[in-house]
Amino acid sequence: MLEIHNLSSGYGDAMVLRDFSCQIDTGKVTALMGRNGMGKTTLVKTIMGLIRAKSGRIMFDGTAIEKQPTHQISRNGMGYVPQGREIFADFTVTENLRLSLLGHEGGNVLTLQQIYDWFPILKERAEQRAGTFSGGQQQILAIARSLIGGPKMLLLDEPTEGIQPSIVHEIGVQLKRIAHETGLSILIVEQNVDMVRTLADEVLFMENGAIQERCDINAMRDDDSLLHRYLSV
Amino acid sequence: MRSNLLALLVFAALAAAPILIGGYWTGQLTTYLVYGLLAMSLSLVWGYGGILCFGQAMFFGIGGYIMAVLTKGMILPELTSSYLGLIAAMAGSALFALALGYFLFAGRGISGAYLAIITLAMALVLERLMNNWYALGGYNGLLNVPPIKLTFFGASFELWDRMPTFYAVLAVVALVYLLVSWLLNSTYGLKLTANRTHPDRLASLGYNVLIIRLSVFALSAAIAGLAGAIFVTLDGFASPTLIGFTLSTEALIWVAIGGKEMLLAAFLGAILTRTAESWLSEIFGDYWILILGIAFMISVVLLPKGLLATPLEKLTQGKGRKSR
Amino acid sequence: MSEFIPIILDVSSYILILVLVALGLMIVFGMMGVINMAHGELFMIGAYVMVAAQSVGLPFLAGVILAPIVVGFLGLLIETALIRHIYLRPLDTILATWGLSIALKQLVVLTFGPESHSVPLPIDGSLELGTFSYPLYRLILMATSVLLIGGTFWLFTRTNFGLMARAVIARPDTAATLGIDTRRMYRWSFVIGTALAGLAGALVAPIISVDPQMGLGYLVPGFLSILVGGAGPLAGVLVGGTVIGGVNNLLAIWISPVAAMITVYIIAILIIRLKPEGLMGGRRAK
Repeated sequence: MLEIHNLSSGYGDAMVLRDFSCQIDTGKVTALMGRNGMGKTTLVKTIMGLIRAKSGRIMFDGTAIEKQPTHQISRNGMGYVPQGREIFADFTVTENLRLSLLGHEGGNVLTLQQIYDWFPILKERAEQRAGTFSGGQQQILAIARSLIGGPKMLLLDEPTEGIQPSIVHEIGVQLKRIAHETGLSILIVEQNVDMVRTLADEVLFMENGAIQERCDINAMRDDDSLLHRYLSV
Repeated sequence: MRSNLLALLVFAALAAAPILIGGYWTGQLTTYLVYGLLAMSLSLVWGYGGILCFGQAMFFGIGGYIMAVLTKGMILPELTSSYLGLIAAMAGSALFALALGYFLFAGRGISGAYLAIITLAMALVLERLMNNWYALGGYNGLLNVPPIKLTFFGASFELWDRMPTFYAVLAVVALVYLLVSWLLNSTYGLKLTANRTHPDRLASLGYNVLIIRLSVFALSAAIAGLAGAIFVTLDGFASPTLIGFTLSTEALIWVAIGGKEMLLAAFLGAILTRTAESWLSEIFGDYWILILGIAFMISVVLLPKGLLATPLEKLTQGKGRKSR
Repeated sequence: MSEFIPIILDVSSYILILVLVALGLMIVFGMMGVINMAHGELFMIGAYVMVAAQSVGLPFLAGVILAPIVVGFLGLLIETALIRHIYLRPLDTILATWGLSIALKQLVVLTFGPESHSVPLPIDGSLELGTFSYPLYRLILMATSVLLIGGTFWLFTRTNFGLMARAVIARPDTAATLGIDTRRMYRWSFVIGTALAGLAGALVAPIISVDPQMGLGYLVPGFLSILVGGAGPLAGVLVGGTVIGGVNNLLAIWISPVAAMITVYIIAILIIRLKPEGLMGGRRAK
């Protein structure tokens, strides 16, 4: 579904990714792990078109997207939950969600009701300004905002950063359920091992701008050596 | 060192020009040289200092008025020395720039678009002020400003005839060009570049960014003031148009078309634009201004380094693509 | 008491026109970070559309409808040919639009001549209440301005377009990741801003003298208004316009136009310097 071939990308003249290739399967939750500065966020932003690829190819669902503008990539079915959540603090919950509906007008969008069923807290606080939310609630809103656009694949960049553990687990369980129910593919960049264990089917380990190792989640459960090697946990 | 060679060629060509172009055009060219000096001052503060000043004519006008007031003997009838006038014009402009600059840059100073709008508003204020300051001639300005009088060891000489005036002005312009180029090639130029591109880092290295900004602002103002002071002696009068908005934006156009990051290109930008204006406005009539506006737009969008600087830089860098 | 009312009305009508002009500037500046130095000329062209419409015998109302359409279309052209190529270089937009303003001004000089034109008042009467009398058209102009300002606020706070526009202002990249075409939003905001300027020009034409230089007289106060008011919330424009327009007019009546202009500019410069986020705050550092 998402195939990346010989991708080079970075900031200005500094290349973070060089000749990067990998493949993310449909209908699975894939976790991308690795220490800070290994190019995970650069990869996700390049997929979204927020950083322009210098060379290489990104195929999403049979379409080359590396030259498309960000909003087009989003409309093609790539959902994105950025690091730091980036919700619109001055907007209410419904306005945040409506924004995503407007961006995907005419597309395969979900209903507000569907979102509220998954995340009841958003219904309770529908008219509250998002800026008044806790970090965890903002994260839920950011995920819901992406989901309502009806993506085929969801990119999550460090969703657990700065969020209390109880909500982390809740988010993990809920996302797993949604992925199973809807067949949504997820690529999650994460350092939190618990989240990865809850959510992921497969784990990719990234170092120095390349995938070094790829393993099944069950294999990782039995063997901590990969975690030690790539995360120095 | 190709750039020095280029500058030498340009000034040599200018020095030879009067032989070819005759008396009237020599007089015109003298005025253009002064505009070129104003353009250099703007290039210094904008291209090298990173301060987009929409009111550079303020300093030009202040210099002009100071020169006029002093040499007409309006303050001290005994002291009408041209030298004193020139020095006071430069010092007055620089002091005004220091005060304005301190107000604008100190603390959490302003920059970019805000600075452009504020300097534009300041130029409008000064122009309106001079239009209504009747002791300084108001709308009509100050007439009968005497020409520059050079005195060496008792002998004195008035810059009245075209040829000597032209060469004297050319000498001053060339001298300023040399001094500023030398300064820009010294560590001061390095600090200016750092201030333009990474002011935060420069500050963290222990340099006082405010002083660097103030110094370049004041230096540029002094040069503009010198240009203004020479200008009023050529024309014989100082008027509010010298200080205002129109000349400020004209200077901006010369420098943008020439190339703000290259002193020589900015200087040539002024001279060539003014020359083109006097020739082409006869051919194109009122369409000339339209053409100028469009040329300005095109040079900003397509050649942000300048219409002249882009080819000149290629020329001076030659085959060994040395970065500046 | 009754002699103050016309003064207050005069001042208010100036403020409303200034706010109308500043609103267009604000939309473009707040949204794209673009300083449009040609905004005054777009205002001026709006007035000239009215002059042209009247000269071919069209009624006043036709001019009012044509002006925003013509100027809005011009805005679309400007955005496509000029702004979109440089909007990542904010300082260059100042220079490029300055070049544009010179070209537009000269284009008008070439078409209509350098002299000033006047547009007859569409409604001659005046409102009489006892000893108090005030030209009717000025009152209608004020009411129309209030409606237009209100309509712009409504557009940006109550509609889908407004929601998307505010999202693009706050977080352009995030808005794009939600499928919002930011370039398209920029383009239409620019068109709306220019159309507003054109409409303001047409409406004001009967009460001022229309000449090619009239733009600058509104551009600089317009900019000072948005900088003084603060660019974040639209309310900043109202406050800024009121401060700049109000002080300018009152001082012009009480002292002299020259003293008024100098005082207002200096007050504005002081406020912008000492409170760069504006009186109403809420502007992001650009």
